[in-house]
Amino acid sequence: MTSILTPASSTLLTLALYAFAGVAGMAGMVLKKPGIRLVAACVAAVGFILQTVILFMGFHAQTAGGLSIGAYMQMLAWFLMLCGIVMWVVVRQEAPILFGALLSLLLYGVSARSLETVVHVPASLHAPFYALHIGALYISLALIAISFAAGLLFLYLDRRIKSKKSIPAFIADIPALNILDRINFVGTIAGFPLFTIGIVCGLFYAKPVYGSAMTGDPKEIISIVIWACFGWLFYNRVSQGWYGRKPARLMVAVFCLSVFSIVVVNLFMNSHHAFVRI
Amino acid sequence: MDCNITLVGLNHRTAAVDVRERFALAHQTDPDNWALPVGGAVHEALILSTCNRVELLAMGTGDVRAQMLGAWARARNAKPEDLEPYVYTYHNDDAVRHLFSVASSLDSMVLGEPQILGQLKAAYRKASESHATGVILNHLLHKAFSVAKRVRSETAVASSAVSISYAAVELAKRIFGTMNNHKALLIGAGEMAELAATHLMQNGIAEILVANRTLSRAEELARFYRGRAVPFADFPKALAEVDIVITSTGSTDPIIHAKDLKSVLKARRNRPMFFIDIAVPRDVDPDVNGLDNIYLYDIDDLREVVEENRASRRGEAIKAEGIVEEEMVSFRDWMERLDVQPTIKQLVHMNQDAIDDEVARTMRRLGSSDEELRKALESMGQALAKKFLHAPITYLKEGDRASHSRRILTVKEVFNLDGHCPSRLAAQSAQTAKEGADEAEPADPAPGRSCPGAAGAASAKKCPFSRFKAMGREDDGDKKESGEGMPCVSTS
Repeated sequence: MTSILTPASSTLLTLALYAFAGVAGMAGMVLKKPGIRLVAACVAAVGFILQTVILFMGFHAQTAGGLSIGAYMQMLAWFLMLCGIVMWVVVRQEAPILFGALLSLLLYGVSARSLETVVHVPASLHAPFYALHIGALYISLALIAISFAAGLLFLYLDRRIKSKKSIPAFIADIPALNILDRINFVGTIAGFPLFTIGIVCGLFYAKPVYGSAMTGDPKEIISIVIWACFGWLFYNRVSQGWYGRKPARLMVAVFCLSVFSIVVVNLFMNSHHAFVRI
Repeated sequence: MDCNITLVGLNHRTAAVDVRERFALAHQTDPDNWALPVGGAVHEALILSTCNRVELLAMGTGDVRAQMLGAWARARNAKPEDLEPYVYTYHNDDAVRHLFSVASSLDSMVLGEPQILGQLKAAYRKASESHATGVILNHLLHKAFSVAKRVRSETAVASSAVSISYAAVELAKRIFGTMNNHKALLIGAGEMAELAATHLMQNGIAEILVANRTLSRAEELARFYRGRAVPFADFPKALAEVDIVITSTGSTDPIIHAKDLKSVLKARRNRPMFFIDIAVPRDVDPDVNGLDNIYLYDIDDLREVVEENRASRRGEAIKAEGIVEEEMVSFRDWMERLDVQPTIKQLVHMNQDAIDDEVARTMRRLGSSDEELRKALESMGQALAKKFLHAPITYLKEGDRASHSRRILTVKEVFNLDGHCPSRLAAQSAQTAKEGADEAEPADPAPGRSCPGAAGAASAKKCPFSRFKAMGREDDGDKKESGEGMPCVSTS
């Protein structure tokens, strides 16, 4: 079986399932067919299960020397789908898992080209704190991504209703403002504590490895900025009762900073986290 | 071929309301008071009578229209000439197309309204109970119901709100999703506001509060909506606990301002609010719409939404007409195939008789009573007959309706069907005759023949469908639709 399910073939299979789920999910929204949306969500869930099996069977470990950049992206997609499924259950709408499938599709598409580019994790980083650091941040990023999609839709729908414009037929079946805000809320309430755990673990761990908790690394700086913005959003959500446009806008900003952190810092800058340096 | 489907009627486009009232047949559709008896030229009939249309649909031969108009006029104590200026008449394809359009609500005053389908189902049920429908109308009506379903599911002709009160509720759903955990406040009482509140109730709103300058009126409305009355002076306090506000007072100045709502929003922790201002002059200051998480629609905004929706429905109607046309052609194909069914049936029975005879003869010759052998011979005979009959049956089914008479006669001549009386058909005929005159084969049996199969040649020239009448009644039991009788409203 392992000879059939190589990293490349398993990637293609998962990609196909997420692509089907994403396209069918959008079609279900455009055609206002809840049945199609449900089927799409179930296919996405099957894709997630397959991806989980692949991860646990350690196919990516076949790549000599450790994890590839592609596998790193796929792990992010896995966390994204995990959060999508949890939100699907929490808000009882297919939208989060369908957003998750589309974003995972994007990550998978990008990952396919980098499955052979190996990231060597130094022996000094092999510790439980490292797993907690990465795990907490990945889940948090996945929640941010789903909340971002819900936030964008909220801003769009809010503007259409405020300006008394009709909703185009192809998105006539998008969730109501209340539901989109609820997705954003859950993403913030669950995502910020996890993001905090991830950052704190990283800071604690940096001291013995790099000699200081803060080394001025670009990744550290951008992460602190994201944490501050996310914290502001969390605080206002919890204590000030923020609702609607403000949290949606702030979540979009948090997501854009996160993408900058993952793509620009990790791939193009000289940082502890940069693949190029490692 | 002089057998046809005919539809005569009048509707909101051809007749004013007083004329529609005068010629309405609402009470003449009950089985005990059925206005369009089957007989003479009319073989099957159906009457649809709503506020906006009266239509008679019939299948028959000869001057069906004259008989329908005569019956209609008699039922309303008028003369057919009184009806003539207002009625339209459709035949065959046009009648089928019109019926499908009516069922799909493409011919309604409010395009896409849902009630007409229920009314048509009720009309069909009554016609069926009056034993006025047979195979053709049964199939036609079932087809009409499926066309209506297809139009609803494949087009957006009925998807958007086209009344102001319903549009308001649809907007509320866009904001809140479901209504279950939300409350509404009705300030003032106007017909449209009350209608909107009724729609909210139907959509499961948790509670409706009513504030009115006259407290007794507020209490009366609150009882109706199973909500609670609020003194008019206290409505600003109630704003913090409600999500939807419908205003409809006679005040000349706005009673709700943006500055008042800032504290309300704070008190409700920024949960969204939807204001529906139906009053003229307006009750809610337009600045309110500038606040975050507050959405305001006044009567003009709602009118615009309704107009847009109407335009969108008109666009969808073009798509729906394509479906109607497609289904009309499909029904026509079915009708054409129906011409040849009696001959196919006769051919099959003739072959079965031959198989039975030959099997019996062979068994006698072999001096055997082995049941297995008899079954084997029968099964072989049927297999051979199936192969032999494939070509003539295909020949009968091919071609257009015009060529069917020729094809039927050819097959009858080749297989000598007119000279053969299959024992099964003869037995069926005897049974049918026993069951009663009204259930017997009705149409033009060939003179001088006792074999019902011989009627095929004559029926190919006249109306082949009438012979299916009895069969259609048997079908009624299975196919009867449970029509949803709706109160008469002015949309269909």
